Amino acid sequence: MVAAARTSAPIANRQAVAALKARFAQQNWIFAGVLFALLALVPLLPVVEGWMATQAALVIIYILAAQGVSVLTGHTGLVTVGHGGFLAIGAYTSALMSHYLGADLLSGMICGGLMAALIGCLLGLIFLRLAGAFMAIGTLGFAFFIGTIVNNVPIFNGRTGFSLPPNNLFGVIDIGDFGFYYVCLVTLALMTLFMYSLVRSGVGRAFKALRDAEKAAQSSGVNRLFYRTLAFTISAFITGVAGALNGHIVSFVSAEVYADIWYSVDILVAAIVGGSAMLFGPFIGGVFIVMVPFFFEELADFSFILKGIVLIGVLMLAPAGVADVAARPFRAMRQRALAQAGGATAREHGRTGGSPGGAE
Amino acid sequence: MTQLRCENITVSFGGVVACNNISLEVPTGKIVGLIGPNGAGKTTLFNVLSRFQDHDSGHIYYRDQDIDRKKPHQMVELGMARTFQNINLFGEQSTLDNILIGAHHLIGNPFADMFSLPAARRTERSLVQRANEIAEMLHMQDELDTLVKNLPYGYRKRVELARALASQPELILLDEPVAGCNDEETDELRGIVQRLNRELGITIFLVEHDMSMVMNVCDYIYVINFGSNLADGTPAEVQANADVISAYLGEEHDDAA
Ligand SMILES: Nc1ncnc2c1ncn2[C@@H]1O[C@H](COP(=O)(O)OP(=O)(O)OP(=O)(O)O)[C@@H](O)[C@H]1O
Ligand SMILES: [Mg+2]
Repeated sequence: MVAAARTSAPIANRQAVAALKARFAQQNWIFAGVLFALLALVPLLPVVEGWMATQAALVIIYILAAQGVSVLTGHTGLVTVGHGGFLAIGAYTSALMSHYLGADLLSGMICGGLMAALIGCLLGLIFLRLAGAFMAIGTLGFAFFIGTIVNNVPIFNGRTGFSLPPNNLFGVIDIGDFGFYYVCLVTLALMTLFMYSLVRSGVGRAFKALRDAEKAAQSSGVNRLFYRTLAFTISAFITGVAGALNGHIVSFVSAEVYADIWYSVDILVAAIVGGSAMLFGPFIGGVFIVMVPFFFEELADFSFILKGIVLIGVLMLAPAGVADVAARPFRAMRQRALAQAGGATAREHGRTGGSPGGAE
Repeated sequence: MTQLRCENITVSFGGVVACNNISLEVPTGKIVGLIGPNGAGKTTLFNVLSRFQDHDSGHIYYRDQDIDRKKPHQMVELGMARTFQNINLFGEQSTLDNILIGAHHLIGNPFADMFSLPAARRTERSLVQRANEIAEMLHMQDELDTLVKNLPYGYRKRVELARALASQPELILLDEPVAGCNDEETDELRGIVQRLNRELGITIFLVEHDMSMVMNVCDYIYVINFGSNLADGTPAEVQANADVISAYLGEEHDDAA
């Protein structure tokens, strides 16, 4: 390669690349804008009934819960099998506040999220040395631990549980099914905005660095303890908020469901099937996990089997999830355009050898 | 002044003594080489110096400050960066992202950063700008947006160097920077290393098997063998040293056998 042959080109190249990146970002915003506008407008159609709004709200709750998983499992590479524990913490925190203090939905969501974040932070510190399968087992143990507590500690009322007053917000005594749906939708929009910011930030880069090239990350100043704990905290917060909503959607909370491992499994399946390292993954996963039992109502056992089959299929055929497969052509197109605009030549030099960066 | 110094470093893995009482020093502003046959303990010593590996005994000093208990992520704040013999990059990310992670300790408050507050966005823009400059210096500005997994091996070594540079280091430890490079790439990299040293005043400590590289760029060379100091001196002195010659000849005999 002759260094002199490319002297003035780079500046023009860099400008072209910057323009392309701006355009791609704009496309992302338009896509998200259209999606959320549709989600906001469709319920206004007269054919949409209350139960449909509730079903859609349930989808959103799963999307949120799976977003929490994606921070930890997708972006930071720490597999969690116990996020049902954080869902329960969010649900019970908000439910207790609502039941005993008459707290409104918003303060329940915030406190539910914060309580889950606090426990998540502690868990991140405790699990500092765990990785891979051990992390999975550790988080599973955590979910069982939370399950045992809500089942046995008196204030949680065990399997009897307790019912909650109608969902109230900003002084409105009962916001109804549609009101609840819009609360979920706004929450989802805010969380998605935050996720978008997070994955593109230096912090998101540090998460991914710990996942893909831990030594390089550490030698670059990424404090493993701090960032792992931060990932745990953020992840738990998001799933905790989902948990608060999950209690209010049926106005009932009991150990009957929260002491069980099924929430943990469903959230994880939603994250993995959708694609946990992609912003759009949880959306697909949330729809999948709610709609499967909905369509197979009479065949509950069959819906479990179907979830299992789809999970195995995805893990075998597209381990990065459905969103990854759907996005692949677009990403490849963008990647090619960027590399070309940047003036890529390396591949023409041939000699693409060795394996991509990874383990040392 | 000495940038980096170690005294009597000993590391053993079970029965294998990878470093046995190694002492050496890297003066500020110099290019110092570390050579030795395969398995001599060079990478292990680098891991000790960058705090990825705890040593059983001995001491490490960075600018005369004892750093025996530092964590790996604290070294970059002191001004030490490193590359890895077995490339450690994010294959699925672009060259630019790989360089940017090197600037991690410059992102400022992580909480402002993750919410993309205006100050964090300004910081990010300036980091990207600097990553561009580094890429230009290393003649890889054309590949900034190429995914690392699509780059040839020799290029990836250079991405490692670029990442190290992004942290604005005073000292860089390079573990076999030209391994797997062809002659042309080796020449280019040699020029780059010399420029980093002369123009940016970066101190360089280099492990390398390519003797043309080592003998041409280093001001001073340490030779280790079986985990112990064997010799040290200027390139000419080391080349003339009988122990060094026999250590390398011995290795060649082994290879031939
Ligand atoms: N983590 C480890 N566990 C056990 N033994 C190790 C470990 N790391 C290195 N060793 C051993 O320590 C010795 C020194 O290895 P090291 O990688 O430091 O050599 P080196 O000089 O860098 O060799 P090369 O030129 O091949 O890179 C070798 O015998 C190696 O097998
Ligand atoms: Mg080595």
